[in-house]
Amino acid sequence: MTFFNKFNKNLKSSITSVGKSCLLLQFTDKRFQPVHDLTIGVEFGARMITIDGKQIKLQIWDTAGQEAFRSITRSYYRGAAGALLVYDITRRDTFNHLTTWLEDARQHSNSNMVIMLIGNKSDLESRREVKKEEGEAFAREHGLVFMETSAKTAANVEEAFINTAKEIYEKIQEGVFDIHNEANGIKIGPQHYTNANAGAAKGAGAGGAAPGGCC
Amino acid sequence: MPSSDSEDFESADEGQSYEKKDRKKRLSSSNYSDNALESDQNVAKSAAQSSNVGKPADKQQDADGWDDFDIDDNDTNIATASDRNDNKSKSSVSTKPAVKESNTGWDDFDDWGQDDGYSNAPREPAKPKLAELDAELNAIKDKMAPTPAPAPAPTGGGWGWSMHSLLNTATAGITTLTSQVSQGITTVLETGIGAPEPEELARKASQIKESKPSSSSNTPSVEQVPESASAQSKDGDGAYLPFGNLISGVTKFVETTGPKVISGGLDTLETIGKKTMEILQDGDPGLVKKRAMLGLSSEDKPVLSQVLREAREKAEQEEDKTEGVVEEKRVVEVVNYENLFNDFDGPVYLEALKLLSSQTSMRIEEQKRTLDAANRQAMEETLEMVVEIYELPEKEEDEDDEPSPEGPKPDAFHERLQAATQDLSIKLQFQPVVKQYKEVLDWLSNTEDVTVDVIYKQAVSSLAQATSLSMHLYHKTSELILASKIRSTVDESTALSQLTVVLRKHISDLAAQFAEKLNSISADNKQQVNEYITNIFLEAGNSSTYLETAFQLALPIIQIGAI
Repeated sequence: MTFFNKFNKNLKSSITSVGKSCLLLQFTDKRFQPVHDLTIGVEFGARMITIDGKQIKLQIWDTAGQEAFRSITRSYYRGAAGALLVYDITRRDTFNHLTTWLEDARQHSNSNMVIMLIGNKSDLESRREVKKEEGEAFAREHGLVFMETSAKTAANVEEAFINTAKEIYEKIQEGVFDIHNEANGIKIGPQHYTNANAGAAKGAGAGGAAPGGCC
Repeated sequence: MPSSDSEDFESADEGQSYEKKDRKKRLSSSNYSDNALESDQNVAKSAAQSSNVGKPADKQQDADGWDDFDIDDNDTNIATASDRNDNKSKSSVSTKPAVKESNTGWDDFDDWGQDDGYSNAPREPAKPKLAELDAELNAIKDKMAPTPAPAPAPTGGGWGWSMHSLLNTATAGITTLTSQVSQGITTVLETGIGAPEPEELARKASQIKESKPSSSSNTPSVEQVPESASAQSKDGDGAYLPFGNLISGVTKFVETTGPKVISGGLDTLETIGKKTMEILQDGDPGLVKKRAMLGLSSEDKPVLSQVLREAREKAEQEEDKTEGVVEEKRVVEVVNYENLFNDFDGPVYLEALKLLSSQTSMRIEEQKRTLDAANRQAMEETLEMVVEIYELPEKEEDEDDEPSPEGPKPDAFHERLQAATQDLSIKLQFQPVVKQYKEVLDWLSNTEDVTVDVIYKQAVSSLAQATSLSMHLYHKTSELILASKIRSTVDESTALSQLTVVLRKHISDLAAQFAEKLNSISADNKQQVNEYITNIFLEAGNSSTYLETAFQLALPIIQIGAI
């Protein structure tokens, strides 16, 4: 767990850290901060993006990965339009937990919620424990979109969030999401922009999801 | 699924375009001249190359076109960009980076109409001679030196990109140019906006061919229309007239990209003419509708400069109008409490608290269902008891125990917050609310000579922000209580109730201080001042309502600890 826990006083947090908060920070602030406080419950981030000429505010809920917060973070799946389910490619245990997280997410969310599977820390190729093909296979099997990212180098981070947003956007266009029902995590903004809120997902020991927004 | 550099770059841009627009706007006016200088060198280096590499190089240059685009967007130093480009074109054939994500899902979002234009683009290999190119490039440079300030371009648009691409890739020869210009044009045409008669384009093109057969036939040149847009007046430069005409028809395009005109090789013109005809006639045989739309009846042919001028005026008028409206709206929005609350993410924290609250209620209900009648009765009594304990004191009470202000107010506020929650076994972060309070006090004491409007706006904004931060506090407190292993219903109830008292007091303090500030100003319009003060207290009442709502939402969180 090198750079993630090297300076981290709290060993526990390093154990659970698959990099959800780092991904979010990279997406919202374009910076990488290897040492994070342990996420408690849920934290929030937001960024404006443009899809199809429309400005969309992505409200991202970064849920705690720790088991202790599991029942709390479950609350936030509802009201989410999309979720990123994150594992750490250098730790097989995080990959093995995906099924549990996915079940949790599916059970507590809107059935149309877009879920993207993210294998994070792709910069640590030498310590890779989970092959990319395995991630792809898991995603295929469960109907998820898959990407490997690196919050450290920013590789694919934009794509991960924006592709999720685009999928949500397409579902809105197709009429799958009722944008007038805020329980779907989507709200028409006051000033000409749509706020798509992807909701929260997350994986704890295994995958966390940085949930996507709502707004 | 094909993957290429262009895909990756495109996607990177997509995500950033919103933020980058402003920068692009600024760049669009200043880059061209720099770029021209830079590209002069590039041309010399790579012209030789292009004659060797031929077609593969063209392909590569296309990819480079995306590079340029990316660089431009990313606000990178232009000189560096060109250097990089230069290097790239030397080595690119063999070292194309292989960044491959097989399932990106990006392909559907091709804003640029790139694929179509690309595949239809003619591929006529051309091998300009080095000397010829050099001479041409110098000519271009001269033309471009006195760059007139173009009208503001709200979006970079495809043209901006094309321009850069042309400059940087001119080196590779006309083939690339042809395909890229076609792409640009295709994009324009496919936006569905009409254009002048292609026959005319073709006719003019052929005239030009006759008059300048040798030197310019294979040479790309890039030109910006000067402020007056009187392209016609430039003798011998008819080569870009057709383009000017085309653009003048495309009013919207002028609006968004500013008056930039590209002129290209004659082959390109012919291709464009044909392509234009095809597209224009699609669904409009004989161009009847489009002629009517452009007012291109035979007796009154439009004068290019006039059309351009009109387009510009129209664009400016519309821009002014929109800006005016937006400005006006903004003033209204700034003093709208709900919008400000929204800006400070208040609704997000409140929603999170609501989700937590309802999920917890559901868990309580589930537990209840698993019990037999007797136990259920007992549980309901417990729940009811918590409701009784979990109460807010009447508002008047908090005013009674008003502490005498000692020391700095933010510190006193912090202490009250800590005292209120001292019995909780969790650690709460009060810095955000305390810091905001400090900032408000600083503002109040350091702001002189402001209008009552400014104070009023600041007041409403401060109330909305304090309320939003309070929502965050309730939400975080609820999460921590839920996750806590040590539960004490009475302590939790007292703490949350006291916390609410402190926050409510804080809100009314804020309102009172802004009211005081307003009163301290000798305004001519006393009635306006009074109206503002009334509104500030109304909004403070609004804030208190949010606090009470949040307090009530936390009830199930306390209840579940009691059962």
